[in-house]
Amino acid sequence: MSGLVHWPEDVGDDWAAVLDEVTRAFEVTRSSAQNEGSIVYVVRQDDLLGRRGAGNAMVACGLLSAARTAALEGARKGWTANVLAFDEVADRAMVEEWARRLLDDGAVTGELIRVGSGHIGKTLA
Amino acid sequence: MNGTVVVTGAARGIGRSIAEKMASTGPLTVIGVDVAPELALSESITPVQVDLTSADGPHVVKEAVESSGAPLVGLVNNAGITRDARLVNMADEDFAAVLEVNLGAAFRLTTVLAPLMSDGGAIVNIASRAYLGNFGQFNYSMSKGGVVGMTRAMALSLAPHVRVNAVAPGLISSEMSMAIPEDIREKMVESIPLERMGTPEEIANTVWWLLTPLSSYITGEVIVVGGGRSLS
Repeated sequence: MSGLVHWPEDVGDDWAAVLDEVTRAFEVTRSSAQNEGSIVYVVRQDDLLGRRGAGNAMVACGLLSAARTAALEGARKGWTANVLAFDEVADRAMVEEWARRLLDDGAVTGELIRVGSGHIGKTLA
Repeated sequence: MNGTVVVTGAARGIGRSIAEKMASTGPLTVIGVDVAPELALSESITPVQVDLTSADGPHVVKEAVESSGAPLVGLVNNAGITRDARLVNMADEDFAAVLEVNLGAAFRLTTVLAPLMSDGGAIVNIASRAYLGNFGQFNYSMSKGGVVGMTRAMALSLAPHVRVNAVAPGLISSEMSMAIPEDIREKMVESIPLERMGTPEEIANTVWWLLTPLSSYITGEVIVVGGGRSLS
C-alpha cells in the first residue's frame, strides 16, 4: 500500500472540535501530498447526510470536498485522493480492503465510494 | 414575508445584493452584518459591524435581532474569504482563517440565532460550486463542503419548523472573482455553457426564492447557480 488512510474522529456540535478535526486532516493531507502519496478519507454515510449532527456532517462533507480538490492537484503528480463512506452494515475489514484497492490502483481519484447499501435512494452528495 | 432577515457579509458583492433584494421586496427588517467598516447600505438596511469569528460576534447580532422587535424569519450565511494556494504550499494560518470565517462563523451564528427563528422561517447558507472541487482551494473547498454538511444536518434538526438550504454560486462578477488573474478568469468563462459570469443579483434572486414560501417544500438541498459549469 502506498499512501495514507485517514479516519476522522467523532466530534460533537462544537466548533473547536470540528476545527481540530479538519485541521488534522489538512495536516496529514498536505504532508502526504508533499511526498506525492495518495490518500483515502473514511467517513460515515450517515454523516454525509447530516444524520449524526452538524459537527460530524461538517467534517465528513468537508473531507469529501477536500478530496475532490486534492485529487485535482494530485492528478498532475500521479497521486490520488478519494473518500470511502460506510454504513452500519459494512465492517472495518471491508472498508480497509476497499481503501487498499484505492491506494494500490491509482486509476480512481476524486471519487466517493460507498461500502454498503445505505446510500441508495439518498442524495448523491 | 414579514419580519427580520439577517444577511452576513453584506458590505459588498453577493451579500450586499442579497440584503438589498430582501429590503426591496417586502415589509422586512433587514440586518446587514459585516466586519468591513464600509457597511454603508441603503436606509432600509440596519448595519451591524462585527467580527463573526469573535466570541461575542454572534451575540451582538442576536441583540440586534431582538432589538428589531420583529420575528426572525430569515438568515443568510454569506460571509466568506479566500486564501488560495496549492495544497503542498498552503500555510497553516491560511487554512485556519478560511475555515473560521466561511464555516465556523456560519455555524456559530446559526446556533445562536436558530432558537429565535419563527415557525416557517428559512436559512440559506452560501456555499460555492468549489465544494465540488477547485484547484488551489483546498481550504475554501473544504469550508464550503462543510457548509453543505451543516445545511443537511440543520435541515434535519430544525425541521419541520425551519427550512435550511444552500446556494452554491459559480463564477460571479464580484470583488472575489476579480482577484483571479484575468487570463485564468477568461479561461473559466470559456468553460461556462452560458458563456458569461453570473451576477450577484442572480444569486440574490435564488436566495430570495429559498427564503420565501414559494419554496416551502424544499429543505436540505444545494442549488448550484453556475451557468452550467459543473457539466462542462
